[in-house]
Amino acid sequence: MPLAYRYTFLYTFPCATLCTTAGWRQQALVLARQTAFLLLLLLLVLGPTWSLGQTPDTEKPVPILSGSIGTFSFITGGQNLIDTQINPVLLVPLGDRWLIESRAEFEGQFQRPLEGGPYGGPVTKHVDYAQVDYIASPYLTLTAGRFLTPFGIFNERLYPVWIRELQPDPLILPINTASSDGGMLRGGFPVNAKANLNYAVYVSATSIGIGSVDSERHVGGRMGFFFPGPRLEVGSSWQKSLQDARKNAFGFHMGWQPAKVPLNLRSEFAHSFEGSGYWIEGAYRLSQAQFWRKAMRHTDVVARAQQFHTGEISAAEAASLGLQPVNTREADFGVNYFVRDGLKGIASYGRLFTSAGNFNQWSFGLAYRFLIPLGRVGEP
Amino acid sequence: MTQSRKMNFNLNSWLAILLFTLAIVSSLFAGSSSGGKEGAGAVVAHNSDAESMRFQGEQRFRANCGRCHAAPQKFPPRMMGTILRHMRVRATITAEDRRLILFYMTQ
Repeated sequence: MPLAYRYTFLYTFPCATLCTTAGWRQQALVLARQTAFLLLLLLLVLGPTWSLGQTPDTEKPVPILSGSIGTFSFITGGQNLIDTQINPVLLVPLGDRWLIESRAEFEGQFQRPLEGGPYGGPVTKHVDYAQVDYIASPYLTLTAGRFLTPFGIFNERLYPVWIRELQPDPLILPINTASSDGGMLRGGFPVNAKANLNYAVYVSATSIGIGSVDSERHVGGRMGFFFPGPRLEVGSSWQKSLQDARKNAFGFHMGWQPAKVPLNLRSEFAHSFEGSGYWIEGAYRLSQAQFWRKAMRHTDVVARAQQFHTGEISAAEAASLGLQPVNTREADFGVNYFVRDGLKGIASYGRLFTSAGNFNQWSFGLAYRFLIPLGRVGEP
Repeated sequence: MTQSRKMNFNLNSWLAILLFTLAIVSSLFAGSSSGGKEGAGAVVAHNSDAESMRFQGEQRFRANCGRCHAAPQKFPPRMMGTILRHMRVRATITAEDRRLILFYMTQ
C-alpha cells in the first residue's frame, strides 16, 4: 500500500474499525509512531518561524494605500495619445511576517480620430498583482496568488510611473512579463561581506478566459548578485513554458550606481521565441552642476538606447502582445524634474528606426506618488 | 511484502532525513542575529550603537533604495514598517539591510 494512502486511510477511518486484527493493530501502531515522529520533525522545522511570528511587534505596521497617478501626452509620428492612469497599491501587513499586497491599473488612452472629432478611446482595468507573502526566514519568503513575473528587473521594480526615468516602455518589456498566477519562493541574503544574493523561483498556471479550462503554464527563476561596495547588480532570468513547444526564454540584467557620481546606469537583455532585444539607460542627477543649483538638484537627464528583433511569431501576434511587429531601434532622451517628493514633471524625445519607416516620439506629463495610511500612525 | 516494506522504509528514511535537515537549517536561520522578528528595526539602542546603526542604515539606504528610485521623505515608523516589509519582498533586500534602513528612516 503506498505510504500516502496508508496515512490517508489511517486518518480517515476510526481506530476501532481499523484495528480488527492483530496485524492491522501492529501496523497501526507503527504508523502512529511514524506520524508522531514526522509531526515532531515538522514542529522542529516550523517551530522557530512560528515562534518568531508570534513575537509582539513593537512597531505594529499599519495598512497603507499607496500608488501612482500619471497623465501623459505621447506624440508618435504626429499622432497624439493622451494616457491617464491610476495605479493603487494596497499593503496590509498581518502579524510580524505576513503581507497582503495588491496593485490594480486603471488606464484611459484617448486619441483624436484621423477623420477628426473629439478625443476618445478605451479605458482598461486589471489587477497586476494580488498576493500573500509570508516571510519564513531571513532567507526565504513564500508568495502565493497573482504576482509580477520576476523576469528581468523593469517589470518588478521600475514599472511604476513615478519610478521610471522614461515613460515610454522599453521595447522588450512585453517579453515574458505578463503576471503569473501560482506560487513563488524568493529571498535575498548576504553570501559574504561584499556580495548579496537574491533569487526567485516560481511556478504559474494562468487561466485563459472566463470559465475556460485552458491555462498558460510556466516555471522560471531569477538570480542576481548585488555588490554593495561598488553598488553593482548583475543577474539573469529564465522561464520555461510547460505547454506546446515548451520553449525557453532567458534574460540578463545589470544596474550600477557609482558612489561618487549621481549616475544610475541600468540595462536588460531578453531572448525568447517572441523576440529578443536589449535596452541600456543612464540617468544623471544634475546635483553637481555649478549653476541654478536649487533647480539642478531636482533635475535628472536621461538617455536610453534599445534594439528589438522580431521572433518566431507573426506580426499580428507580436502586436497583440505589445511587441513591435518589425525590427526596431530606438534612442530616447529625457528630463525629469522633481517638484517635490513623489511629484515629477517629465519630457522626452525619441527617434524610432524601423524597417517600416522612421518616426519621432515625444512625451510630456506629470507623475505623482501617493501614500495614505489606513490607520493611526503617530508622529514621524 | 518485504520489498514493499523496504520501499516504505526507504521513503520514510529519506523523508525523515529531509525534514531533520530542514529542522536543523530552519533552527539555525531562525536563531541568527538577522533573523529576528520583522519589526526589530526601531529597537532601543545605546547612543554609540544608535549612531553606528544610523550611519550603516544611511549607507544601505543609498545602496539599496537608490537602485530604483529617488530618496523618499521619512514617514512615521508604523508606515515605514509596512513600506519596508513590501520592499523586502519586492526588491529582495536582505533582513539586515531592512533592519538598518528601518532604523535610519525612523530616527
